[in-house]
Formats: sequence, C-alpha cells, structure tokens
Amino acid sequence: MRGASSGKVADMNRPWQLVLSALVVACAAPAVVGDGRLRDVIDRAVEDAWKANNVMPAALSTDSEFVRRIYLDLIGVIPTYDEVVVFLDDADPDKREKLIARLLDHPRYGVHQSDVWDMIYFGRNPPGYGTRYRDGFKNWLRDQFNDNVPYHVWARAILKAEGNTVEHGPPMFFVQYKNAPEDATVAVTRKFLGIQLQCARCHDHPFDAWSQRDFYGMAAFLVRLRVVDVGKKGKLKAYAIGEKNSGEVLFTGPVQQDGVGKQGQPVKPKFLKGALLVEPRLPEDFKEPRDFPSGRMPPKPRFSRKDRLADWITSPENPYFARAVANRIWAQFMGKGIVHPVDNLSPANPPSHPELLDALTQALIEHEFDLKWFIGEIVNSRAYQLSAVGSGSKEAKPKWYQRARYRPLSAEELFESWMIASGFDKVLERSGKARSPIEATGVGGDRFQVRGIEWERLLQSFGRPNDGVGNFQGGLHEHLYLNNGPIRQMISDRPGSLHESLAKSEASWEERVERLFLQVLSRRPTSAEIEEFVAFLSAGDDPRGRLHDAVWTLMTCSEFRFNH
Amino acid sequence: MKSICRTHEHLSRRALLKGALRTAGGAALMNWGGLFHSDAMANEVKKSNKRCILIWLNGGCSQFETFDMKVGRPTGGVFREISTNVPGTRVCELMPRISQRMDKLTVIRSMRTSQIDHPGGIYLMHTGWSRTADTRFPEIGAIVAKYCGDAESDLPNFVKISSVGDAGSGILGPQYQPFKLNRDGALPPFSISPLSAEHEARRHGLRDFVERQYAARHRADPVRMHREAYDRARRLNNVRHVFKLDAEWEKYRDKYGDSKIGRRMMIAARLVEAGVAFVEVGQSGYDTHADNFEGHKSLVPPMEHAWAALLDDLDERGLLDDTLVVWMGEIGRTPKINNRSGRDHYVRSWTTALAGGGVKGGLVYGASDKDGIDVKEDRVTEGDFFATIYTALGIDPETENYSGVRPIPLAQFGHKVVRDILA
Amino acid sequence: MNIKAPIHQWQLSFEGEWPTSVAFLGDERRLAAGNRSGQIYVWELPENPPQPQAAGGKNSKNDRPPDFPPVRRLDGHTNGITHLRTTPDGRTLVSSSLDHTVRVWDVDAPATGEAEVVLDGKQRENQARRTSGRKRDEILNAPGTRVETVAATHVLEGHGGWVYGLDISADGKRLISGDDQCLSIVWDLASLEPVSSWHGYDRVWVRSVALAPDGKTAFTCEYAGRRSSFDVPAAQARLWNADDGTLKMDLLKIWTPDVNDRNRTDSYQYWQKWRKLLKRGLVCAAFSPDGTMLAVGQGGETDTGKVHLVDVDSGKILRTVSGHRYGVCDVKFSADGKYLLSSGRDTTVRICRVSDGEQVAVLGASRGGQFKDWVHAIAISPDQNTVAAADIAGMVHVWQWESSG
Repeated sequence: MRGASSGKVADMNRPWQLVLSALVVACAAPAVVGDGRLRDVIDRAVEDAWKANNVMPAALSTDSEFVRRIYLDLIGVIPTYDEVVVFLDDADPDKREKLIARLLDHPRYGVHQSDVWDMIYFGRNPPGYGTRYRDGFKNWLRDQFNDNVPYHVWARAILKAEGNTVEHGPPMFFVQYKNAPEDATVAVTRKFLGIQLQCARCHDHPFDAWSQRDFYGMAAFLVRLRVVDVGKKGKLKAYAIGEKNSGEVLFTGPVQQDGVGKQGQPVKPKFLKGALLVEPRLPEDFKEPRDFPSGRMPPKPRFSRKDRLADWITSPENPYFARAVANRIWAQFMGKGIVHPVDNLSPANPPSHPELLDALTQALIEHEFDLKWFIGEIVNSRAYQLSAVGSGSKEAKPKWYQRARYRPLSAEELFESWMIASGFDKVLERSGKARSPIEATGVGGDRFQVRGIEWERLLQSFGRPNDGVGNFQGGLHEHLYLNNGPIRQMISDRPGSLHESLAKSEASWEERVERLFLQVLSRRPTSAEIEEFVAFLSAGDDPRGRLHDAVWTLMTCSEFRFNH
Repeated sequence: MKSICRTHEHLSRRALLKGALRTAGGAALMNWGGLFHSDAMANEVKKSNKRCILIWLNGGCSQFETFDMKVGRPTGGVFREISTNVPGTRVCELMPRISQRMDKLTVIRSMRTSQIDHPGGIYLMHTGWSRTADTRFPEIGAIVAKYCGDAESDLPNFVKISSVGDAGSGILGPQYQPFKLNRDGALPPFSISPLSAEHEARRHGLRDFVERQYAARHRADPVRMHREAYDRARRLNNVRHVFKLDAEWEKYRDKYGDSKIGRRMMIAARLVEAGVAFVEVGQSGYDTHADNFEGHKSLVPPMEHAWAALLDDLDERGLLDDTLVVWMGEIGRTPKINNRSGRDHYVRSWTTALAGGGVKGGLVYGASDKDGIDVKEDRVTEGDFFATIYTALGIDPETENYSGVRPIPLAQFGHKVVRDILA
Repeated sequence: MNIKAPIHQWQLSFEGEWPTSVAFLGDERRLAAGNRSGQIYVWELPENPPQPQAAGGKNSKNDRPPDFPPVRRLDGHTNGITHLRTTPDGRTLVSSSLDHTVRVWDVDAPATGEAEVVLDGKQRENQARRTSGRKRDEILNAPGTRVETVAATHVLEGHGGWVYGLDISADGKRLISGDDQCLSIVWDLASLEPVSSWHGYDRVWVRSVALAPDGKTAFTCEYAGRRSSFDVPAAQARLWNADDGTLKMDLLKIWTPDVNDRNRTDSYQYWQKWRKLLKRGLVCAAFSPDGTMLAVGQGGETDTGKVHLVDVDSGKILRTVSGHRYGVCDVKFSADGKYLLSSGRDTTVRICRVSDGEQVAVLGASRGGQFKDWVHAIAISPDQNTVAAADIAGMVHVWQWESSG
C-alpha cells in the first residue's frame, strides 16, 4: 500500500480476519506438504471414503480412456491420430505423468481454461451492453493460465478492473453489472467466494447466516463503480471501470415493506461477517464531477473501496476464497464438487470429504495458488485416472469418486474436436483458408468463423447442455443438429479430410477401420467393431457414402459426445 | 411392433436386476425409474387418454390485474372490474372475452405456495416440489407425457413453445424430455433430414450397432439420455408435417388474435389434436416490479384473446372434455404497490385457473381477504394443486417412481386433492 | 425566469393515491393537482407563507416547508388523472383520465356541495405514534379540511380507453387528447367539437401528445408496452396536421436515417435501434413557446431518461439534454423558451438551458432506497416565478424564485 495513512487504513481492516477465522472449522491440516504429495493425500482420502461407505471402485482407466480424457480436460480438444498412436505405443511407465506435464505447457491449455472460466464468469448470455465480444478478456485470461500466474493474482486483477476491456481485459467482468451494484455483489460473492447471497437482497436469509445488512454492506463496495465508454480500439468498443469518490447504498428495509416516501439509510461498506471498512473522510470542499466523460480513461478515486474489496477477497486468509476455488477446480476434473453445487459453500451444504477439502485448500494456499501444480496433482491422482466403466453406479458424477465422471463436451470442445476428427482442419490448411495460429489459439470470435459451420447455431444446440445444477439434459435439439446439420460438411471430399484419405487409401479395410477409430475415438476398435465396420464399408454399393456414414457415426455417437 | 422389446431395453432390465441384487448388499444404485416400455409394464401403468395444455405466464401474473380484483382498496390499482357470464363473479376489465367464458373456468383464488423467487418458483410450479440437490423431480409435462402419452407415437409427447423451466423429465427418464419449438412455434433448425429414407436407415443401422456396443459397458445416465434423444429425434422426421402450420395460422389469425401468444396457442391446439399429450405455451414479461399496470395492459389482452379462442377451438373440435387447460405463473404479485408503480413477488395468496376436462366450470374456488393480503378460505398449496391436476387427468397422484431406491410420488407428501373443483 | 436561489415555498399534503398532475389556474397562487384515484383539488395559497425554506436539501421534520389545505375538490372522474392543463386565461381547466374521459372545468364555477377531507392521514399516524389514549385520538380524529365540491362543465366522451395524452395549444383554441387504443382527437376548445382524429393499431398506445402554439401541428408518440407479446408496428414519433389529421412528418424515420424503410418492422433489429431513442416510450412532450422546438422525454423504466430537443422544421434532434435516473415524467418550457424543465423518476426537477443543454438547477433531492420516488408532473406559473411539482409520495411541492428585477 502506498503512503503511511493508507497503510494505517489497511491495518485497521485486519480485525476481520479474526472474526472470519472463528467461523471456519479449524483446519485439521493433515501433513499435506512436507513429505506427502497431494495426489497421494487425494487417493488416501478417496479410498477411505470408499471403505466407510462400502463402495466398490472401478479399475484404473486404460491408456485409450486416459489419453482422450486428459487431452480434453487439459487442452479442450481430442488428441490427433499421431498423438494417440505415439502415446498408446509408448512403453514408458511414467508416460501418463509426462503427458500431463506436456499438456500443461501446451499453448492450448490457456485457451481451454479460458473457455471454462469464461463460462463461469459470463455464461452464454451475459447481461450488460458490450459484453458480447470478450476477446480482450479471454485472451488476457488465456495468458494468465499459460504463464501460470497465481490465481489470487489474476482474480484480484479482475476485481480491480484496471485498464480497458479491449487492450487489457479484466474490466469486462464489471461491465456486466453496469448501474447494478446489487447484481455485481451477488456475482462476486458467488463466483469468487462460493457464497450465495441473493436471497439476502430482499430479506434476511432464511437459513444461512446472511442478513440484508450483510448484503448491502458488501454492495457498498461496488456502488461507486461506473462503466465508462473509452472509445473504439480497433473494431471493438472499449470500456473501463471508473470509481467515484462518493455515493452510498441506500437501504429501506425488506422489499415487502417498500413503498413511497421512505427515506433510505446509507449503509457503510462492511466485509462479510467482518469489520466495517475504515475510509478517510473527503475534504469539506470536495466536489464530485457529475459523470465520467466518455472517450477518456476515468481518473482513480482518492480512496478505492473496490480495491479494498479485491484485496480482502483474494487474500489467502479469506476462508472462502481458497476453499471455493479448490472445490471448483476439483469439480472441474472430478465431476462433483466436494461441496455440491460448487458455488454454495453453505453450512447447510456439507462437504462429502471434509478433511480432503481442507487439505486441498491448505495445499493450494501453501503453493501460492499455483494452478498448474494443483491441477497436475489432481489429474495425476489415481482417483482421477479411474475408468469410467464399472462400479455399478449410473450417476454422471459419482458422489464417492469411485468411477470417472461423464462430462458432456462443451460447444468449443466439440467444434475443435470435430475439426480434428474429421480432418477438416487439414482441409482448410490445404485450401489456404486455415486459421492462422493467432486465430486458432485466440479465444475470440475468429476462432469459430469457419465457413459452413455456423457457430451461432452450434451454440444454440450445444451451448448449454446441462440444467441449472449441472445435470446433462441434452435433448432432441442436439440430435437434430447432429443428424441433419453441418457435420456433413466437415466430413469433406477434399484433400486432407479423413474421409477423403480413407477413400483413396490402398490399405486393407481392417487397417482403415483402425485408422478411423484411432482418429475419431482415440482408441483401437474391438474385433466385433472391426467385423461390423468392414462388412458395412465393403458392402459394394455407394462406398463413398458408406465411408461418410462411418465417419459420421463415430463423430456423433455417445462415446464422442462425452468426456469419460 | 408393440410386443417386441428393443435390445437395449433387455440390457437395461438385466442391469436393473443386477442392481436389485446390489441394493440388497447395500450399494447405492441410481436408475431413473423401474418402468420400461414393455407390454407387461405398460399394462401396469393405467394410461389415460387425456391431454393437457399449460399456459405459463412467466414472471408472475398479477392476480389483482386478472381474477382477484380489489377495486377501491389501497391495493386495488387502476383497473376496474367487469361482470361475467357467471352471476356474482367479476374479473378485470382487461379480460372481456374470458369474462364471457367464465362458465368454462375454475379459478382458484387461494393459492399459497412456498417459493418466492423466479428460479425456485419456476421449478416449484413445474414439478410441484421444491428443488433439492439429490432428487430430480420431473416436470408436469413429463408426467403427463408418460401417463397419458402414446409411447408408440413418433410425435414427442411433451412439447414446449417459448416457455421456461429446466427440470426436464428428471427421474422419469430421457424419453420424456421436452421438445422445444421456436418462439414462433416452428420446428427448430435442422429438424428435417436431407437424406433419403433408405440412406437414413442404413446410417442408422451402423450407429445403432456402435451405441449398443458402447452401452454394453457404459451404463451412466447421460449416455442413456443421449441415445434415447437420438432415437426420438429420428422419429420426428416422420411427423414433421404436423408442425407445418403457417397456412393454418392465416385461417385462424383473427380468432386467436394477431399476436405471438395467439399463434403459439393455436399451435398448441393443433398439436393436441394430432395426439401430443402435453403442450406448454409460454408468455414472458409478467415480472412487473415497475410499471405494473402498463405491463399487464400490454400482456393480458393478447393473452386472454388467445386463451378464449383456445377454449372455443378445443370445444368446437370436441376436444375440450379431454383436455385440461392449466393457467398459471410461478408466483403472484404483491398487494402493495411500490414506488415504481410496480408489484413485487408474492406467494401468500394468489390465483391460478383451470378449464376443460376433469374440472367443473363456472366456479371460483377459495378467496383472499379484502385487500388480497392473505388467503381467507380454502387454501390450496402447490402439492394440492398438482395432485388435483393429476387427478383431473386420470393420473393417481400417489403413483411412485424411483430415484435410486427411494420411491417418489408424483405429488408432494401431505397433499390433498381438491375434490370440489373436479367434475 | 430567474432561476437563481429557488425557495421551497410550500409542501402541500395530498396523500392517498399518487399525485400525478398539477396545473396553475391563472396565477401563481392558485393551483390544481390530481391523483391516481381521480381526485382533483384546488389550492388558493396566501401570498406570504409562514416560513420560507431553502430548496435542494433533504426535508427533515424540522425544516419541512409549510403546508396549506385545499379549498375545493373537482368531482367526477372515477379513475386516475393523467394530465391537467389550463387555458392561457386561466379560466378553464381540462383534465384527462384513466376513466376514458376528458373533463372540462370552469375554474370559477360556483360550488355545488361541500365535503370534509383528510389529506394528511399518514402524517397524523406518524404524529400519533408517539402518543396514546386521548391525545392519540385527538390527532387521528381531528377534523379534516372543508372543501367545496364542483362538477365538470363538460365531459368529453369519444375515447374508449385510458386517456394518456392531453395538451392545450398555447393560443388556447385547441385541445388534443390521445388514448391507449391509438386514437388521437383534436378538439376545438370553444365548441368542444372534434376537429380531426386519427387512429392507429388498436393495441398501441398514444403515449404522449402535444400541440404547437398555433394549434396547427400535433405531436404523438405511439408505443406498445411489450414487443414480444404481439405482432405490432414498431413505436412511432410523428407530427400531424391538426386540421385534418394527416401525417406531417415521421420523426422516428428522420432520426434513424440509416434504416432502410423495408426494415421498419416489428423486428428485433429495428427495435434495437429505436429503443435507444425512445427508451420505454416518449411519455411527455411540449412545444417551445415559439413553436420551433419540441421537447420529448424518454420514459422509464430505463437507465437514464433524457429529453430530446427536436427542431420542428427539419424534424432532427438538436440536442439531448437533462437526464433522470430511471426515466423522465414531464417536460415544460419556460415562457421565454430559454429553459426546459423536466421531472423524473429520481425525485427531482431539472432545469436546463435550451441553447446549450447545460443543467443550471435542480429542485428536490432523491429519497428512498435503490428506487426513488417520482415527480410525476410539473407546472410553471404564468408569471414564471413559481414551479409546482406533483410528488408521488403524497405531496405537491411549490418552489419560487426570488423575484428578479
């Protein structure tokens, strides 16, 4: 903090830590770091829970299962034919760990994680003007992941919202909540702390500990924010977040009692279940200019409430912050959060593996929010690498992690994976219409502007495959797209495509079927499959059409649809 | 065709039996229901030939601007009331056509439900249950599709036109998932197959093989859902003509009113006539926290015009006796008018309406107090409401489906069927 | 108008349903205000109020401006008043209402009855809260105000729905009214006969109307509440020839020159364009005294409602001024055309200079929580020294400028 006086202010805000930590069950802090690796802690905890709950786990995944799963989970696309064959035929006993390390350093790692977190921060239809084209934000986020910037550092950057949305990126988060500090409060607490405050907006929360005053105390940190149009940068409108020096949240009581003539009472900013924010007083003759003029970066305020909030939220000592992200990232790879849903860390919603969650949280803090390390530990665990088959459970996300989870591929993953599976990316390359490396790894709209594949349509059908709480709901609409939609165009006749190369190939049908399965499903076919496919393809009539059908079948079947 | 079980169902049955053994051993087993499409099972489920149309008013329609007028009271607002063709009953002046069809309606003025926010209310008033993390309750549409729909039909039995609600078919299984039409009631994009029937069948044969291989080892719910949905999407191709209703709309535009909600209701009537068991038609915008009177003024007239036409149309075609038309939103609105000229959410006392097969017409059930603050008599909870609807449709509300090993009845525990409104 | 140093002279209690309309009756001490249940009261204020207060600050109990009871009640309307207008000579008052009628009142008509009314019920309750027993009863049951009651001289029928818009031309000869079934009628005020009328799509509302000073040109804004419910034409802002009801100028078309006429449909794309200009409809309109400009206010709820100043000859927007959080409610020009007054959903009256759009004064201050009470209507006294405002919290504010030289 700059300056003695602001340092003093910061110190005076420390007492909240004591209050907050009193609320948190004292971490048992098992010997996480030190000797044991986190992956072993995970495996032990998960095994203990199996025993306690009399659950039979599945076996370890096969290499085929593993290679497809890890490519999708880490870089958001299936492995190419060559990558699959190299991995399957590698005899190195440490090949899984080495593959994981390679993928974590892959430039697409950041792209995929940026897609995942963009969904968390914005969803498919974010509110607010100007939030639709988020290239600046997404590119920035991709770089944070690829450079392995610690989570608390980039999370704080989002909350501090400095710069503009096009050249820098982070301010886009708050642009969603223009003139809506209450909505911003709900979003910030939910996405960064895993707390659901929305009920407390209108009345004291029925069972959690949040009161309306708690809610408005938090909203007070964000009430002074303004979205400022700072002009066009290139083709896009750029916005910045300005913060005024004055302005309060006015509270009139429960919504049920709202009426005319009521005088609202200003609510001072107060950290959730913590202390009031200590702010310096404005000088007597201070005149706040009415609005931030557009076309210019807004000046910084004399004292920024938002920055204090950002510091408090992203502090390693904030008991919700580390826990929420540890749980969320766990859920990303393991299926169900230890606390489920992941944005509801409420006492009414207890964790399934409490000590494990504590250990994960502790480890993440000790490693200073190094996400590559954290993710690496999770996916190197045996628990993650179990097969998706077996154990009798039919849940998509088994509660006791006795089996790998089924996750529907996102629209982005489907698109990219279809390009690889069908060889359409090679078709584009050869016809000179390839996406440039920037386009291919840019996270913006250009990535999906491939002629004939209407990205908007794809989004409509696959943009939201889950219901409100993460259960797969894919209905008829997905299949209408799959059956009758542009997939057919990707299975192209042009050089480079899988279809074309199989049609022209001189190899035996068996070899061609093997190539087909390896390229599309990342595995070798069973003998039954070979038999059936060879019979189908060599039937005599319409060989090209049959080949087309075969590629289509593998691209649209359930095995492709999910990550498992 | 009816008596031949399809291969994947045999597998599932085997899996269920295996599961039953497991259960005895204490392992947790998830499946979504013990009832499959097979002769033996189908006979156990008494199928009713009733149909249902749900008119969903998204956002929460105000009872003070429709059926429960409090003119002259501080909570009354600016609309006045008009008399109806049921002596002693009055409705809002925004509904002149419905006022002349009150003999077909049963209005319930004494709803008291438990979820006051939109997501909670939408879930509650679609499923009849509050949302919980561990049980996926099915929407009313899925229930009607299952117990009233013709499973052999290529038509989806649960159709949604421009409505909300994401509970889906829950524990009933993927074959009862809603099929969503466009906002204009047209088929969604890519509905029509570009292939010849022969080619399509050939392709399907190979795909079916691949899916069966996969299903032999991968038994998780989402996989099964994916497969079932594919199957239904395929069969849709056979009935696409049912959804070609542009010409029909030109003929009936005046009857239903030149509005989007009118078009959707006409489509609902035609689909029900074609055999679809349940159609949900939505109209959005009722969440009038601000400018409540202007808001309802713009929403209610086209809606009531279409609703009146729907009742007439069904009646004229002899369908009304077998079709239950449900009218509701997720919440009511506050008696108190706020300083934005709006009404906020309210569930202590609000109004829904039923018409058609199974219910008496010309009836107002229950009452609120003079200012509309509380229910004065004959309270109806969500459990009661849904139980009554199921009964009207010939479905026993205590019928159970399974969530894992837990039996879940259709209607909430502790419900009571409101017999007074049943025909 | 010397807008320096306004004094918050009166805060007249008018509790009950929201006060929605206000007008001066010939001089700055006589005014009428109407509310949303159809009541209209007339006040005759004394020249010297007990204790003038400075305007602009929050009114705590101690420095609340003085109250004064009304003297008469204008009876007849059965539903809310939307607008009040007076003729330039101040002798005739016209009211439009949600009860589908427009009523004409003779300001000096003899009373036909009497009534006792209580217009400060809530204040009595607040006072009584701290007392009990006899003292409490005394306060609550204290006699109300005795008012004369008067009926309208004429009831103009002809509208089938809410009369949303009302205006009198500055020359006092013509009246215009518009309803929510898209019918606009221009009346001759002397004979009370319709001069012309025009009709649009049934489900669209005439959201605001205005008549040019010479009564020959009329403005209407047509707007339908919800786009998505029915297939209606897009919103309109148009000028008409009041003599015969023919279209004079399509303002929205002029304001959106880059839209192809084929695309002026009820489509989502067109809506995205026109809603930036109209927000939730132009809910108030006024011609400048010299007839060269038209002010139209953007209604709520919306982010910020502003006022467009339109050049009547070309139809173009000269500038966009003012700005009320959540929407504008009313606009008026000062008689010299130099200032534009607007009131809105943020409990303020804003005064802007017409020449450059600068805001020069604010009357009133926000109160309440996230959403503020509305100032539903404003009126300027004939001598330009007094401004009255109808506040939905149950009062009519009167501000006065210190007299200029």
